[in-house]
Amino acid sequence: MKVVYNWLKDFVDVTAAPQELASRLALSGTNIGSVENGPHGVVMDAEVGSNRPDCLGHYGIAREVGAIHKLVLKPVSPKPAESKNKVSDAVKVEIQAPELCGRFTARVIRNVKIQPSPKWLKDRLEASGVASISNVVDISNYVMLELGHALHTFDYDKVRDHKIVVRAAKLKEKMRTLDGVEREFDPGICMISDGDASRAIGIGGIMGGAETEISFSTKNVLIECAWFDPVAIRRATRFLKLHTEASTRFGRGADPEMAELASRRCAELILQLAGGELLAGVVDVYPGKRAPKKIQVTRKELLRVMGADVPDKQIEASLSALGFAPVRVDHNRGAEGSLLAAWECAQPPWRAEVEREIDLIEEIARIYGLDKFPPRLPAARQGAARLPHHEAETRLRERLIGLGYCEIVTIPHVAEDRDALFRPANVSPARLANPLSEEASVLKSTGIVTMAAALEWNLNHGQRNARLFEIGRHYRLQGDKSVETPVLTIGGTGEAREKGLYDSPREFSFADLKGTLDALGELAAGRDARGLEWSNGGPEWLHAARRGKVQLGKGELGVAGQLARRVADRLKLRQDVFLAELELDPLCAAMQATKAAWRYQRLPRFPAVERDFSLLLAEGITFGEIKESISSLNIPEVVSIKAVDLFRGKNVPAGNYSLLVRVTFQSREVTLTDAQINHFAGKIISVLEHRHNAQRRAS
Amino acid sequence: MKNPPNFGLSLADQGIETPQQVASLFTTVRQMFDDAALQVSDESALADWRNAWLGRRTGVLTMIGDNWLKKAPASLRGDVGKQFNQLKLYVETKFEEHRQRIEPGAEEAVLTRERVDLSLPGVIHPIGSHHLISQVFQEIEDIFFSIGFSVVDGPEIETPYYNFEALNIPEFHPVRDDMDTFYIDLPKGAARPLLLRTHTSPMQIRTMEKQKPPVRVIVPGKVYRRDNPDATHSFMFHQVEGLAVDTDITFCDFTGTIEYFVKQFFGPSVKTRFRPSYFPFTEPSVEFDVSCIFCGGSGNAAGGGTCSKCKGAGWIELFGAGMVDPAVYGFVNYDAKKVSGFAFGMGIDRLAMLRYGIDDIQVFFQNDVRFLRQFP
Ligand SMILES: [Zn+2]
Repeated sequence: MKVVYNWLKDFVDVTAAPQELASRLALSGTNIGSVENGPHGVVMDAEVGSNRPDCLGHYGIAREVGAIHKLVLKPVSPKPAESKNKVSDAVKVEIQAPELCGRFTARVIRNVKIQPSPKWLKDRLEASGVASISNVVDISNYVMLELGHALHTFDYDKVRDHKIVVRAAKLKEKMRTLDGVEREFDPGICMISDGDASRAIGIGGIMGGAETEISFSTKNVLIECAWFDPVAIRRATRFLKLHTEASTRFGRGADPEMAELASRRCAELILQLAGGELLAGVVDVYPGKRAPKKIQVTRKELLRVMGADVPDKQIEASLSALGFAPVRVDHNRGAEGSLLAAWECAQPPWRAEVEREIDLIEEIARIYGLDKFPPRLPAARQGAARLPHHEAETRLRERLIGLGYCEIVTIPHVAEDRDALFRPANVSPARLANPLSEEASVLKSTGIVTMAAALEWNLNHGQRNARLFEIGRHYRLQGDKSVETPVLTIGGTGEAREKGLYDSPREFSFADLKGTLDALGELAAGRDARGLEWSNGGPEWLHAARRGKVQLGKGELGVAGQLARRVADRLKLRQDVFLAELELDPLCAAMQATKAAWRYQRLPRFPAVERDFSLLLAEGITFGEIKESISSLNIPEVVSIKAVDLFRGKNVPAGNYSLLVRVTFQSREVTLTDAQINHFAGKIISVLEHRHNAQRRAS
Repeated sequence: MKNPPNFGLSLADQGIETPQQVASLFTTVRQMFDDAALQVSDESALADWRNAWLGRRTGVLTMIGDNWLKKAPASLRGDVGKQFNQLKLYVETKFEEHRQRIEPGAEEAVLTRERVDLSLPGVIHPIGSHHLISQVFQEIEDIFFSIGFSVVDGPEIETPYYNFEALNIPEFHPVRDDMDTFYIDLPKGAARPLLLRTHTSPMQIRTMEKQKPPVRVIVPGKVYRRDNPDATHSFMFHQVEGLAVDTDITFCDFTGTIEYFVKQFFGPSVKTRFRPSYFPFTEPSVEFDVSCIFCGGSGNAAGGGTCSKCKGAGWIELFGAGMVDPAVYGFVNYDAKKVSGFAFGMGIDRLAMLRYGIDDIQVFFQNDVRFLRQFP
């Protein structure tokens, strides 16, 4: 709300300079966004919290200023001259929906002269950012900005039978509002109607109707100043998608007692600026009158919550200035600073949200100054714990970074067609009911979707070498339940090794991806050191010849491979892209179990001996099978079996390939002799010849 | 006094017949060599000295080899050979020492040829990087961990109960208007609506449901608000929630904790202030400001004019926080008369933007490797 500095002076004799005042207001709860010195003096932009409807008017801000600077708040008591004719003879009011409208007051002024407002009024409205229309309309806006209570003025002669009926809207009832829009209502909305109540002439607390609007030909004015239920107003504004100055004030909870005062103030100004005859009295239907609430605040609770004390005088001065009328009620009355001190307060009608002791403690603290409570660190009571997989996840992250991968963070909202490309069959995605756009209408059902998008971004921005990983989640529905699964997603494209002074370039290949995953698998290898296990297969979006499923122990962990050409084309990725996704929880759990099982192995004291076997194998026989066959011999001295060279083509018969296998022998007890090694090698050759028809090549 | 050694005669001709005589003779030669060395002070003397001792045809060593060693009787050959080798090593070593002393350029020449070009890169093993958001998360986690806060996490797809109701935000509460919410499209007849959490605060409730006081937790995570994206808004961003509940937590403990965090994160010279504010699930509620890290709190830009980051205020609003509203305890069966606590929720993206001078939140989520590699 725009606060006009000079307007405040109508109510408190503030002497603090605007900047200082702004800072004091901010530190007591009314944040000031800006202080500007304009053509009509200083204007402060107050950011009023949704719990403080009382500060949506200058009078309420002045009350805050009074409390902070210990200044007297001047009373507002307009006494407009009234004629002998009674208003009760001129207008009737009936509230049929007291749950929506707790009070309705009406005053009537006859023979007004509608004309432009005087300069002082226009200036204050302009400083507040409100356009001037005519004196009577301007006055109702002025009173709203002054006292924080919204009013509405009708052309009295256009109100049928001079009768107002406040009722709930009928289903699908329609009315054209002041802004010229035809709107439709529902029964939770409060309507102001006239005559036999068949015609709506305003939406209660939100906006008036077009048909009874004040115009330059208006002679007689009906002033409505009412109180509407805040929850009903907020519901209505959301239903109508219509937010007005009035709905903001009623929606946050206006002061029902203010209704009559604001109406009187309005009448006073109309008489002053538009002349006319104010009918005597007020028509006041007030079904929602509340008895003032009593609230107690004790020093004990203040100390328990705030941790430091506030002097009695401060407590009493602050609460008094804010209208809570504190009275000491404890047995130690008179003993200043007593730990037993208790004050009974009355809830002022403009502070409906202050209902509890804690609310009063907040009032005391904010006026006293939050900086007066000395900061300290609380005592720790127990050891702190990280997330269960924090340690494993950190090692995973560090290893991937060491392997050259950059971590990414993505927004999970993706396009439906993108998600569908990678979504496994029979998975139902979590779609948004109210997406901002088609491009962001589904939560990714696999991490691959956003990983592919990140690679795409880089390729489209001239970065053709990218190795990325993300530790995130994918989101799916199971029936009406959501399932969020932590996943590790990996993507690589471009050069695995860039050309440099010492190295030749090399493109990222399936082997790079596999090497990366196996390097992670090593961390989760378990007691038997098996690591990740690979098997043929995988989703259709991966290249049929370069994809695999990854397992850890008995569980499926994920998939890895090269993006299928068909999908890459669709995403306009013009180079080979490699992707993998692993479920994170089982991987981390295995990493932790593996680490827990780590035991030192004494280093062997006897030398190791390597033996190479150059094999000619039929296509289709895998290294894994060769390895398995060698292992099946159960020679304890075999400590490693590695593939060290592989080639096809020249000198290799078609349908075959050549594989160089290096076996390392080592004993923990003795130095192996040539005879022993030859014996082992013989067994190996024999099993490979027998099982795989392997031929030995001269190496 | 015996005769000085004669390099032109065989040992027999000089009357040397025993190993003792051989040893003594070589000691004398070595003495002669050392005496000559003392005279060497420049390059030409060095050359002469070298010629005299190491010259290929008439140098002393050559002559000793030819005349003493080769002509030695078999009985002395072993001793003479040993002495000769020791002398040779000694002479060569000494000569090299003198050469390096007198000819500094000699060593330089070798070094120049072999010296590495330090401006050339080494062998580069491409190393990846932590995402900046992760780094800030980790830093915040470490700071709070150091003062006894555990880390917990929870679902991003939440129920309205946890996201709103249990946090004292009933339907049609005005603050719901500030938290435009994404809802999940559920099959007809779903038991309850689901939404994307608008803050990490639901984890306050989930934590207190599971655990009795004392509670000290932080919750890092993603949150969602249905705002149109621009340089300062993303419909997904990151928060760290904090919650401490105990029998003796006061407002002073709250401000002390926040100040500790900020000084750890932004540095000890940063000033802090708490402004009263309003949130439905805390009371008293505050907005927390730090002195502007760009202008040092002066409000003035370095080149004159007002600081654009704090708009001249000297303060930057960091996040909202406060003492847990007693109403919240009602939802988790805590006794509001016996326990008290505080809660805060800070936007991580904004903290990272402030600290690293990033002016567009979208760069975090585009994941351009040129951005990712800036913060290795
Ligand atoms: Zn600044």
